[in-house]
Amino acid sequence: MSQQAFQQTLTRLVIDPEFRDAFRAAAGKHNVTAGEGELTILERKRLESILDDRGLDATRTLHKSFRLTKLYAALPLTRRLIPTARLAELVGAFWKAHPPVSHYFIDEAIAFCDFVQGRVGAGLRSKYLTEIVAYERANLILRRPQNAKVREPVQVEFQHDPMILFEQLTSGKTPRAVAGCKCTLQGSIDEAGEVKWELLS
Amino acid sequence: MVSAGEDTYLAMIMPSESLSPIALPAIPKLGVGLLFQDELQSFIERHRSHFDFLEVIPDLFWTDTGPGQTPRYLENSSTTRALRHLHQESPIVLHSIGLSIGSAHRFDREHVAQIARWHDWLKFPWHSDHLAFMLAQHVVGEVNAGVTMPLPCDQESLDLLVPRIAEIRSRVAAPFLLENNVYFFKYADQKFEEADFLNRLCELSGCRLLLDLHNLHTNCRNHHTDPYKFLEKLNLDHVVEIHVAGGLEHEGFYQDAHSGPSPEAVWKLLDWVLPQCANVGGVVFELLGSWFVDVGEERLRAQLSRMKELWARHQPALRPGVAA
Repeated sequence: MSQQAFQQTLTRLVIDPEFRDAFRAAAGKHNVTAGEGELTILERKRLESILDDRGLDATRTLHKSFRLTKLYAALPLTRRLIPTARLAELVGAFWKAHPPVSHYFIDEAIAFCDFVQGRVGAGLRSKYLTEIVAYERANLILRRPQNAKVREPVQVEFQHDPMILFEQLTSGKTPRAVAGCKCTLQGSIDEAGEVKWELLS
Repeated sequence: MVSAGEDTYLAMIMPSESLSPIALPAIPKLGVGLLFQDELQSFIERHRSHFDFLEVIPDLFWTDTGPGQTPRYLENSSTTRALRHLHQESPIVLHSIGLSIGSAHRFDREHVAQIARWHDWLKFPWHSDHLAFMLAQHVVGEVNAGVTMPLPCDQESLDLLVPRIAEIRSRVAAPFLLENNVYFFKYADQKFEEADFLNRLCELSGCRLLLDLHNLHTNCRNHHTDPYKFLEKLNLDHVVEIHVAGGLEHEGFYQDAHSGPSPEAVWKLLDWVLPQCANVGGVVFELLGSWFVDVGEERLRAQLSRMKELWARHQPALRPGVAA
């Protein structure tokens, strides 16, 4: 059991800076672990001796790169739309609420989309964000490997001209004064297994 | 000669017919390999003469839906089609990232079964994973650190690993290799030095080594130790595969980023170690696909050519593909 507690605690020291602070505050006093089970004296010594080791910071940097790469690769439009400082704040809050569970890009990116949509529902304001996040989320849902042979099409409502939005974002521009255009895009999977989008109305 | 404690391991390795290691053919001398990445597909198609075999990360060809899910692994039909095509042209070995063999809270037998299924399909001459843990328990369930976290070089780690390796060897009819890990911090009061730990692990479990020279270079550079002293202590007869790669400096640490050509120090290590690895089957160059644009075809070809030159010089008795 102590081996599990050791690995659980070490992993949490890497992924959770607040836990690292709490562990540091309790060092030498209480037998704090990240879960159930006691650490041995040696395990505790090993963890306490790396608390302020720059190597632990380097490991955390790698961990963050791993997670950030997933969002960066899977959500190219959303990350271009949200200003860097706000994106950093959102990603930090997302990571705090959602520990990393998978190697795979798609599930984590969908969870981030849900998180951002929740923030929009709670008052986050950013022009075009709702429709761009909904579009990229739908794209990921369609691309997500599934056992089902037939996949239902997915529809996304737009309030602004999607073609202009996509063009400006993919060319690295911040969208400005995009014309209002209420329309619906429908995404589906074609015979080659690729996502295709069509304008419904 | 084994101690009383080691007898226990031998009993665990071969306690019954069902857990007996499968009789294996000799390690073939494949030669120079390249790690497959999507971004390299065109290069691979056009430059087959620059390498003798491919190494693939099988976890990138399927989606793992999680322990206990049915089906657990969803294979991507288009990428497995591409793999089938590549396999017709070149031998393939597997280098998995999904086992997390060092995780104390569970041993992933479904992953081992999936590797066994792929062995039935691809008949790879060996397969490998990382000597580390990435998965750990968490208050919300299981987390994946996304980083190969080091195991302490002590008896408790051997106790964890040896029966698991025995089980893998009984389920997959190909030699199983573990890769020496990169670590940016060191545990206090470890019972064994790393080379000694690896020697014991191989002797007790029957696993073989994937000697990653760039990982070794990274560790030695960051911790100011001598890679040749490590190699002098390591039983090189256990080495079946060697990795070379490039990295970069970031925040005061040299990182194993697979981001470019191998540093000169790694070439010197390869030149030194390759003639001493009697059972080595191949040397693989690792380049992360996202860095390919920066590296370019010419430099990648140059890396592979240099590996071929060293292979020809140091493993001359056996041509690629000829069994040892």
